[in-house]
Amino acid sequence: MSKNLVNLNVNPCKMCMPMGTSNAFYGIQKCMNILHGSQGCSTYIRRHMATHYNEPVDIASSSLTEEGTVYGGEKNLIIGLENLIKLYEPEVIGVSTTCLAETIGEDIEYIINNFYASHPDEKVKIIPVKSAGYGGTQFEGFTRALKAIVSHVDMDATKHDKINIISTMISPADTRYLKDLLDQFELDYILLPDLSENLDGVHQSSYHRLPMHGTPISEIQKMAGARTTIEISDTIKPEESPGVYLDTQYGVPYKRLNLPMGLRDTDALIELLSELSGKPIPEKIAKERGRYLDGMVDSHKYNAQGRIAIFGEPDFVVSAVRLCCENGVMPVIAATGSNCPHLKENIEKEISKLADILFVEDYVILNDVDFETIEEEAIRLGANLMLGNSDGRRIEEKHHIPLIRCAFPIHDRIGGQRVRTLGYEGSQILLDQITNTILKAVEGGFRETLYNTYYNEGPKSKYGLEPEKEANMKVLETPNPKVPPTTMTIEEKTANHPCYSCGASQKNARMHLPIAPKCNIQCNYCVRKFDCPNESRPGVTTEILSPEAAFEKYKLVKEKVPNLTVVGIAGPGDALANFEQTQKALTLIQEYDPNVTFCVSTNGLMLPYHAKDLAKLNVSHVTVTVNAVDPAIGAKIYKHVDFMGNRYHGEAGASILLANQLAGIKLLIDEGIMVKINTVTLMGINDKHIEEVVKTVKDMGCFISNIMPLIPVKGSAFEDLTIATNQEINAIRDKCGIHLKQMYHCKQCRADAIGKLDSDISLEFREKEEQFKETALSAQKGLRFAIVSKGGMLVDQHFGQASELYIYDYLDNEVQFKEKRVIGKYCTGEEDCDEKEDKIGVILRELKDCDGVISMRIGDLPSKRLETKGIKVFSTYDRIEDAVKTAAQDILKSKLPKSQELLNVSGGV
Amino acid sequence: MKNDAAILPERAKSIRFSECSGDGSGIKCESESVSGAVSQRACVYCGARVVLNPITDAFHIVHGPIGCASYTWDIRGSLSSDEEGYRNSYSTDLRETDVIFGGEKKLVAAIDEIMAIHSPKVIFIYATCIVGVIGDDIDAVCRNAEAKYGIRVIAVKSPGFSGTKKTGYKMACNAIMSLVTPDVLPEKTLGVNILGDFNLAGEMWIIKNYLRRIGVEVVANITGDAKVDDLKKAPSAQLNLVQCAGSMTFLAKKMEEVFDIPFIKVSFFGVTDTSDSLLRIAYAVGDKEVIQRAKAFIEEEKNRVIPLLNKYKKNLEGKKAAIYVGGGFKAISLIRQFQEFGMNTVMVGTQTGSKEDYEVIQHLVDENAVILDDANPAELEAFMREMGADILVGGVKERPLAYKLGVAFCDHNHERKHPLAGYEGTLNFASEINLSMNSPVWETISQGGIKYV
Repeated sequence: MSKNLVNLNVNPCKMCMPMGTSNAFYGIQKCMNILHGSQGCSTYIRRHMATHYNEPVDIASSSLTEEGTVYGGEKNLIIGLENLIKLYEPEVIGVSTTCLAETIGEDIEYIINNFYASHPDEKVKIIPVKSAGYGGTQFEGFTRALKAIVSHVDMDATKHDKINIISTMISPADTRYLKDLLDQFELDYILLPDLSENLDGVHQSSYHRLPMHGTPISEIQKMAGARTTIEISDTIKPEESPGVYLDTQYGVPYKRLNLPMGLRDTDALIELLSELSGKPIPEKIAKERGRYLDGMVDSHKYNAQGRIAIFGEPDFVVSAVRLCCENGVMPVIAATGSNCPHLKENIEKEISKLADILFVEDYVILNDVDFETIEEEAIRLGANLMLGNSDGRRIEEKHHIPLIRCAFPIHDRIGGQRVRTLGYEGSQILLDQITNTILKAVEGGFRETLYNTYYNEGPKSKYGLEPEKEANMKVLETPNPKVPPTTMTIEEKTANHPCYSCGASQKNARMHLPIAPKCNIQCNYCVRKFDCPNESRPGVTTEILSPEAAFEKYKLVKEKVPNLTVVGIAGPGDALANFEQTQKALTLIQEYDPNVTFCVSTNGLMLPYHAKDLAKLNVSHVTVTVNAVDPAIGAKIYKHVDFMGNRYHGEAGASILLANQLAGIKLLIDEGIMVKINTVTLMGINDKHIEEVVKTVKDMGCFISNIMPLIPVKGSAFEDLTIATNQEINAIRDKCGIHLKQMYHCKQCRADAIGKLDSDISLEFREKEEQFKETALSAQKGLRFAIVSKGGMLVDQHFGQASELYIYDYLDNEVQFKEKRVIGKYCTGEEDCDEKEDKIGVILRELKDCDGVISMRIGDLPSKRLETKGIKVFSTYDRIEDAVKTAAQDILKSKLPKSQELLNVSGGV
Repeated sequence: MKNDAAILPERAKSIRFSECSGDGSGIKCESESVSGAVSQRACVYCGARVVLNPITDAFHIVHGPIGCASYTWDIRGSLSSDEEGYRNSYSTDLRETDVIFGGEKKLVAAIDEIMAIHSPKVIFIYATCIVGVIGDDIDAVCRNAEAKYGIRVIAVKSPGFSGTKKTGYKMACNAIMSLVTPDVLPEKTLGVNILGDFNLAGEMWIIKNYLRRIGVEVVANITGDAKVDDLKKAPSAQLNLVQCAGSMTFLAKKMEEVFDIPFIKVSFFGVTDTSDSLLRIAYAVGDKEVIQRAKAFIEEEKNRVIPLLNKYKKNLEGKKAAIYVGGGFKAISLIRQFQEFGMNTVMVGTQTGSKEDYEVIQHLVDENAVILDDANPAELEAFMREMGADILVGGVKERPLAYKLGVAFCDHNHERKHPLAGYEGTLNFASEINLSMNSPVWETISQGGIKYV
């Protein structure tokens, strides 16, 4: 009944009893069925059967009229029988009552006796079935007809070796399978009923309107003498069961089995047949079973996505549920329109076990139910699949839940008579249908589903949240104390710049931040090495600072050197080849002190790309080193130029460099930036060409020219080049001075120079800075770790193979990623860095601000060197975050007084 | 040992089956496959195709005989939010005469045809084995086509014999560099690129949603759900997030060098990796609000997901896992996820893991766990049996083998239809492991047994 309406069945999940009897009688040889009732019953039933089986279905009716209903229908039935015999010449006639006949109290046994009495020569066997439509569904009608047959046929109880097989309604194709199975065991059997041929006939030249196949009466008569009965149905009530009847009446033992669907129920039948026949299970069957097992495994994962609603006759529901459960298809609904109180008991355990594995919280087993309830439950329980007869089509259509059509009836598809569900092969066919229906939904819809679920480029709020939620996420901003900005003109800035203004060089200090390790060209006069603190020339620095560290250093210096007005980035590589760092450092410093004058020096290669950025960063002064304005001369000065991922040599490289320098300078001047041109005097190479250089840049609007002598560097290509004397340099400067203002006071500073031009105090600050870093971190009670990692997720590299260091801070019980420091990149060429000792030196310098180093493994030598510097060494294979936590706890533990030592904190070593 | 029959002598050094096996020099890896050993590895072309194919509005012409195109036609679950053109397969379908007389003309004609019908923004031309041998000058063809049509036509030289799948990744990365390198470097924007997610089952979208939640803009997706115009914006990003380390570190390094974009590695497999990565991104971006948001978001997601995972845990605890995947990074990530589920990894192998990967793996698994490099089916079979694995994580090639052995299976490859990344992906992963490993079919088989045969 409907869940909502106690008194209404909405969309029935069942038909009536005479439907069952008609089906059953179609399995008897040369048998016709007449319904004792009004005309409609037989016509409806014929229509249903004809569309399902795609066969002509002839069912007679006694066609009761008003008169018959009032005065009794005997006359109608007798005339009906006479005509039926005339038209069809049947050997058997099943007389099924209908609601009307039963309600008006027709006694058909009596009428049939009267018929025989008035037709003494008639040999036809007439079998009456009391099948009021309200007495049950087609399921009960079917078995009731079978019981009527066995109880009305004149039985011959002589013992023989055949076995009885009695089934509820199965398809003709499944019936043929059953027969074939019995044949394979060479069993002699009587199958009741056998609708395999009558309802799935072959195409023939002559058509017999009387069903010529099916179980003959002569065989049925022998059922009383069979050695056993197998009743393939575990839900027939005993009082309705033909097997029970044969047992009680004739002592034929019987065994009841589930429909052989799925592995277990098929096994049961096969094993029983093997036992009864005394024959081993044939190889063919064993292979079918093996294939089904294989198929089960193949599809188990797809099947787990199935939430299936199964409905239909009780036998079908029980066995389909068992098939689904053994394959992991979750039955969220198991429903029958029949009244079968045992249904729940039969299947609940099975379903709940699977529900437990798949974390399915709810499912229903419904007895005596209509489609409205099934529909509601299917929606509520999120069924994504239905299995049953075609009456589920309305739900399919409305809610797009695919329906696998099997069982009876199937009206809207062809082939109801050929549906296979029994045996290993039938199970496999059904299972494949289930799996493929799931797959079809996934394959056909996953792109759309995933798109709808996860693609989220639409508006909503900035963070992809609903506005209310967004409001809850507001983060408090802590204001930064800042130096108030004063407006300084470019002229004022220039006046304060020690490199641009001779006067300023006496009183104003500048600071070079060594934050730019990489260079994108190789000049023949340059070798960028580190750690030559006593050497002072461009390209030299003791260490490379991260932008943050550079900012800290700036603050420290500014405190000590109040006349610090200029911050420059002069390498040791090229400021623009390390633009990220340059940008970061300048941004940080500017936020702290907006009045500082920024100055950047570059070779100009990347200038066209960053000129505008520099202007945005308030860089007021840029120095571009231009040694030649003729690619042929440039080719002698530059070993190679790395541009856009390619390395260019000779004139090609020099041309690219020159073109970019000139384009970049133009952009700088357009932005109002003061441009200084540095030129290195290279005797015999560009000394005669420098005037040309100066003229060229003057025309572009450059501010000052700085012509410098070469500082020969050991290991550089020009290490043996003649050096221009002071007089020679000044002569060139004088000549060029006609065109452009000359800088006579250049000191050719280090990349990390600090102070006034004539007094580099950077050494002093280098040590202080170390102290500063220590205090800065420990003041916040934080720890800093360098992690040697290849992948960047795990500690997965040997210390000695480190090319990158991942710096993490442990602060406020939290692991915070700080930055990545690239070690390999500091060396421009292989020749520079092949000494191992050097590399460890480089790494050690990089680790100065760290409390610990975490690597997969570390050699004794570096380990000792680190320990002597107070850096703890940890070896582990952990995730970086976890490793840092463990290491930090280890360090913190060691700092605690002994009594407070934490228990169970394992060290990372 | 028991499995002598399954192990070729040449392969012995690539297998570690107990702490004391081997000569102490670690596992043999990063080497060529042993001929005839039935390696599970693919080819250079495959690597290149995997990386480039998800670019949704690119046209991919496979220059070679038909097989290469046919086998890679729309087999991967990379999703698109717009164009679907990338799901077509274009091939020059070289025949015998082309092989003898050269295929250049056919390729030129093929490009002309594509141009006549479609208006692609970029065409990738994949050179397969045969092209590598017959010597078609595809560079020249591409150059000419670019001059003729004014679009990018990029050669991807990926003959199968020229290395391993990793070589193919490099070729693809070079192609991407060639595509995105501008004439003039753009101004930096406050955003990141995501490298190495191919939007399988919408994973790129999931990650983008996360980043959006914490306030990080994404400039370009490389290459999941990528469009050519978006890719071209990649040089303006401030940071690269590298996910599939195997294929994309090369590109990240190139981009660092040429565009000055630093990169960090991230992983979105498992709750811990996902949370750590989000926080790492936040700190790398360095914006206070982003850090705050990331923390809040991680907290919220953990609270949602962990109870659900614990539910699965009761079904998973104590079971044994076997892993055979492409790269070491994924293998390590999986071992850890299994640890979180209370599962023990008893066998682990990769197609292309490195020495360091194996060293990490060795320390993550039990001393008796089997470790394999470039394994073949015979080895996988022998060790899954010996170790009694309950589930194998691998690609579709390994699936039927697992099933034949009665071992459950999880596809962690490109053909899956549900996301395994991020918090929801972790839930999916737990669910998938559960439903396969605890499927009733195993009980049916073990209780019903293999009968009648």
